[in-house]
This record gives sequence, C-alpha cells and structure tokens, in this order.
Amino acid sequence: MNEKARLVFTGHLYPEAFVEFARHRARRLDIVLDIASADGEAVNVTVEGPVDLLDAFEMACSLGPYDCLVLDVVRTAA
Amino acid sequence: MTTGNMWQPVSLSHSIETATSAGTRLSGEDLVVWRDNSGIAHVWEDRCPHRGMRLSFGFVRGDHIACLYHGWQYDTGGQCQYIPAHPDLEVPKTIKVPVYLTEERAGMIWTTLAADAGPLTVPADETGTVPVQSLYVDCSADAVIAVLESMTLAPFSAGRDAETTISAVNPSLYAVSSGQDRLLIGIQTITDERTALHVVISGLPEVYEGGGQAHFLSWALDLRYRIENPPKKTFAVSSRAVAEVL
Repeated sequence: MNEKARLVFTGHLYPEAFVEFARHRARRLDIVLDIASADGEAVNVTVEGPVDLLDAFEMACSLGPYDCLVLDVVRTAA
Repeated sequence: MTTGNMWQPVSLSHSIETATSAGTRLSGEDLVVWRDNSGIAHVWEDRCPHRGMRLSFGFVRGDHIACLYHGWQYDTGGQCQYIPAHPDLEVPKTIKVPVYLTEERAGMIWTTLAADAGPLTVPADETGTVPVQSLYVDCSADAVIAVLESMTLAPFSAGRDAETTISAVNPSLYAVSSGQDRLLIGIQTITDERTALHVVISGLPEVYEGGGQAHFLSWALDLRYRIENPPKKTFAVSSRAVAEVL
C-alpha cells in the first residue's frame, strides 16, 4: 500500500550532491520523489511509495553522500 | 588483444560445483560465477545493489543466490525477489543485479561484458573434455600468447616425436595438438597486467583422467614458468672493448 510523506533533512549539506544522491536512491527503490527545496542547511522532499521503501529511502538519505552530514530528519504525512 | 566485450572464459566448468559461487575479474570488472541447483551457470556483477557486498560471498539456494550481508535473494535473471527484513514487500523491479551472457563450452564457463557480443564461436564438445587446471600469471594476455606459441607439447597417448601444432580457435581460445592429444587453453584477461589460463584436455575421461591430467599439468606449469621467467637478454662484448675500458 502506497503512502506519501514529506521529509526534511537538515545538517551541513551540499545541495547538488545530496539531491543527486536522493534521486539515485529513489530510482533504485522505484518511489516517486519531488524536491521541494534544497540549500546548504536543509533539503525538503516529498516521496510516495510502499511504506517499507519510504523507510529505506529515509535511512539511506539519513546517511547521505560522503560529503554531507545529516543531523536531523523530520517526517510528516503529506 | 582481448577485451571484456569479447567472449572470454572465466572459470573451468568443474571448478564451479552445483550450488556454489566464486568471484573473478574480467577486464577489471568484478564478477560472480555461480551455478544453480539445476546445474546452469550464471555470471553477474559481483555486487549486491543493497550495500555493495560481494555476491560471491553469498550462498546459493535452489535457483537463487542470496547476499551474505542481509539475505537479499536474487533469481536467475538477477531480479531481487525477497528481502528478509521486509517479507511482505513486493520488491521493485529496479532492484536488479547486472547479469552477463553466459555459455558453457569446451569445459569452461564463458561470458562477455557486451550485451551485443554475438554468438560464442567455440564449437560444442564432441569428444568431451577433462579439466587440467586454471593458472594465474602476472602479465598481459598478449605476453601469454607470445610464449604459448613458442611451446612444444610432448603427447601423452603415443608418439613422443610428434610435431606440436598451435592454432587460435578464437582470440580467447588456443588449441595445442601433438600426436593424438589436444589441449585447449582458454585465456581470461583479468586486468591488463594479470591473466588466467584455463587448461582442459579435449578427449575422453577414461583415457586422460589421472595420468593424462598429471602429464598435461606438468606442461601447463612449465608454460607458466616460461611466462613468468622470460629469457634474459644477453649482450656480446668484444675483448677489445673490455681492454679499452680497463
């Protein structure tokens, strides 16, 4: 069953690297990804897909690419 | 000159038993070679899409291979079918391991990194094959072929004075014949500086198993020695030149 969620990743981020990483993971997990905003402090996205895959996406992005440090993730229903 | 886009052998058939896997490399690409329970061999990228663990460390169960790390299971097409941590999840079709064309011919498992490589040009075994050994040397495939073409082969069956003939069946397979005996040498480019030689006897097991294998293993080890120890260059120096230096 599909769900839709908003995720806000905050920390020390290179937005281009983080967004590329997020898009790659979303393609791999076959979920829908929409980037709402991205800057050096926060990346705000909406994702849609099976809840287990949204969990996997959140976990992967909480680690992020090697040059980004994610300090917090806030997940809300979208 | 061989490349990963050509068909090359990556293992002796007998080295990959049913329900086992092993890692190898072809033109620098890490590959897993595995054989399912029905006996069919597969060659894939040696990397689980989940966390990058080598699938060659995994285990084969029935017609799938499972990653050692988190147990993700892949069917014979490379498609992930089951994730133990999410047993109810319908796994997305995007979670898939790159798979390569695979054939078994001449007692070896063959693959190519190119999807459009065309058919494998190795004739089907008519008389059967007997495995000898896979050997690994630290030099290029071209250097191996240069030494191979200079070798002579003492036959096992009869006629010690028989002439040796060496011919290329295709760029990755050489046939070495002497008397009634015929060896097949499959050449695998692991990297530009490392090469594997897969040696089999073309013939009946009842003729060559045991003594024949030992005979040709000795020849193969001599081949490896000659590859790794090329003749040293010598320089002619006249006594007059020496006298001038002194």
